[in-house]
Amino acid sequence: MNEKIVEFCGLLRQNGLRVSVSESMDAMRGLGVAGLAERETVRAVLRATTVKRAVDVPTFERLFDLYFTGMGEVIKEITDGTRAALDLDPAAFQRLLDDLERFLREQGIELSPLAQALLRADAGQLERLLREAAARGQLGDIQHGLQEGKFTHALATALGLGALTGEIEGLKGMLGGLDPETGKRFGAFLDRRLQDLAEMLKSAVRQELDRQDVDRRDRQGIQALAEKSFFYLTEDEMRRMQEAVNKLAQRLKNVVTIRRKRARRGRFDSSRTLRSNLQFGGVPFRMFFDRKRKDKPQVVILCDVSDSVRNVSRFMLQFVYALQDLYSKVRSFIFVADVGEVTKLFTEHEANTALDTALTGNVINVYAHSDFGRAFRTFHREHLAAVNSRTTVIVLGDARNNYNLPHEWVLKDVQLRAKQVIWLNPENRMTWGFGDSEMDRYAPYCTIVEECRNLNQLYRVIDRLVAV
Amino acid sequence: MFASVDDVIAQFESLQYITSRTIGTVVYLATQLQKPILVEGPAGVGKTELAKVLAKALGHDLIRLQCYEGLDEPKALYEWEYAKQLLYTQILKDKISEVIGAARSLTEAVDRIATEDDVFFSDRFLLPRPLLRAITSAKPCVLLIDEIDKSDAEFEAFLLEILSDFQVSVPELGTLVARHVPMVVLTSNNAREMSDALKRRCLHLYIDFPERNHELAIVKLKVPGIDEQLASEVVSLIQRVRKLDLKKHPSISETLDWARALLLLNVHSLDHDLANETLSVILKYEADIRKAQQELKDFRELQRAKQKTPAAASATSDKDVLH
Repeated sequence: MNEKIVEFCGLLRQNGLRVSVSESMDAMRGLGVAGLAERETVRAVLRATTVKRAVDVPTFERLFDLYFTGMGEVIKEITDGTRAALDLDPAAFQRLLDDLERFLREQGIELSPLAQALLRADAGQLERLLREAAARGQLGDIQHGLQEGKFTHALATALGLGALTGEIEGLKGMLGGLDPETGKRFGAFLDRRLQDLAEMLKSAVRQELDRQDVDRRDRQGIQALAEKSFFYLTEDEMRRMQEAVNKLAQRLKNVVTIRRKRARRGRFDSSRTLRSNLQFGGVPFRMFFDRKRKDKPQVVILCDVSDSVRNVSRFMLQFVYALQDLYSKVRSFIFVADVGEVTKLFTEHEANTALDTALTGNVINVYAHSDFGRAFRTFHREHLAAVNSRTTVIVLGDARNNYNLPHEWVLKDVQLRAKQVIWLNPENRMTWGFGDSEMDRYAPYCTIVEECRNLNQLYRVIDRLVAV
Repeated sequence: MFASVDDVIAQFESLQYITSRTIGTVVYLATQLQKPILVEGPAGVGKTELAKVLAKALGHDLIRLQCYEGLDEPKALYEWEYAKQLLYTQILKDKISEVIGAARSLTEAVDRIATEDDVFFSDRFLLPRPLLRAITSAKPCVLLIDEIDKSDAEFEAFLLEILSDFQVSVPELGTLVARHVPMVVLTSNNAREMSDALKRRCLHLYIDFPERNHELAIVKLKVPGIDEQLASEVVSLIQRVRKLDLKKHPSISETLDWARALLLLNVHSLDHDLANETLSVILKYEADIRKAQQELKDFRELQRAKQKTPAAASATSDKDVLH
């Protein structure tokens, strides 16, 4: 059993779960205590000891079913199939098995363990032999459906199929001495069993293939998604990306609250306490703690929602939405050629409604040609009061200005007033400054300029944001 | 100590806590292997309750440490009572001058004081916090570390040390070793991923919202006198509502609150209007309530359709799955 657990832990690891050696040891000790009698208990023990994240539970359940029923079930099924094919009910089938065994004993024939297990329909023994053969045939190395034939062959060799065929053929030769009726029955049974074994080999390989495959594709998918540019997402990916952004925001929230709380916490200030209590003759009437730091971050976000960044702006807005949830003082604006404030919209409506309203032109005309210069000037004229020395200004946009006047002086002015200006550009850094991109003009007036084309980059940016 | 998994389940049930076999197994394992349990799951599925019931079943004291952002060692383990120390030095001024009275030089005076400083760093001035109390407790106890995900990463690292050795070193007093290894239950709402090191040391238990029958059993147990039909209707509706995309899903405690509220209103069967009016017991956001009301409407129409044509109803019931 221990070997089986080690193997199972290896399997879990292959599928992306982190199972340490001490955990597999716990699993063994746990099974020792709780016993192996009940399947559900075994499952609960293994789950409690090896799976430590709720997200891994479904993977575990699938693998558990695959591993701990898999082969046994299949063997039983195949044996049942044979019984049905020979047109026998279970009792008659058992009689056949008994008859055959008596015959073998009378003839004084010593069979190999494999032949014995096969002819006695001993599912447990067969499973063990198959598993051992799988280990010897390095079945675990299979990676691809096209290798099925090769590995079936390797497994057959490891199991000793050749020798078994010889044995069974020999047996069939000896059936002549029996009465024709019984001989025919035995012959048919032997033929069937040989076929069965081939079938079992095939299923074993196919199962192994399934097992290797579980989650591999999934995992690769998620990895790829994080690196994929926002521009080229399919609809399904968009939906998954939304979940990812939400998770990111949630994580950001935790990190931020923890960091902020830590700064606010005061420790006992013994020297100040002593000093101040000297007036009472040293009796500590007044306690002092380190002063709390007051710093409520204020954020002003300007998000480009023009056609050129259509795909991106949705995520960006979602991110903005999350940010607004996070900080108490966030003002969000969207712009194309005009500027519109969406702070209220975002606080009052749930995410999807708010985003739809913002993106369908209910706040500003989103079908205009983007004009950063004009938008900035409008912002400067109408909303500059939102920016003060504690404000972080975040601009999300590609700086594609359609050859309009860039009015970079606005940004300069904003930078002078603000704590910092951050520009996140969803375009590749290589293309900045080419064509109608005015990034080069705007960049000097930003504290941080970052390319933000995919989830990983967004994550890095957030990490930097939180740090400051 | 429990004799078997079934014993755990039976004992918990006698304390009015209905467990699944999974939970029973994990609890049994934890008591046998003396390992901490890390319980995860959505809010309100009875994670904290599990620890309380465990303490009751074992007949141990429950010591609870509620985690929050910024919880640190002094708050969790022990603290010297500065104020008391300072106060004592003041009150004992005369005594102290007596001790150093004959000293000729400053160095000598300091030396004399130093020989007496044990007095000020003794148990008397030590303020034990939950962790230290669990370790020094004379009787075996259950230590509940609640909402560990709210604490900082540093605190988690510090906790690791305690959980592996069950000993604490107080520099002024020496090392304190636990007389009984406490049974530890950690709960987490998954606001933050716990470190692998911590997870490795614990048995992991994920408690989800219970299945229908399970929840029905809980309602019947906890709300005595409830109508069979009402209980079943309440649970069915709750299960439906949980499938909706809500800000906050109704927890078991809210199911119980609702059942109690309905019982108080002397209701025997849940009708549409009544459900609509009392939804605020189970849902805590306006938007959620609106969604649930819509769902309730659909549900009623579905039931009407069912009554009219049983065959047509089975076709529409696929809609369930889509939620």
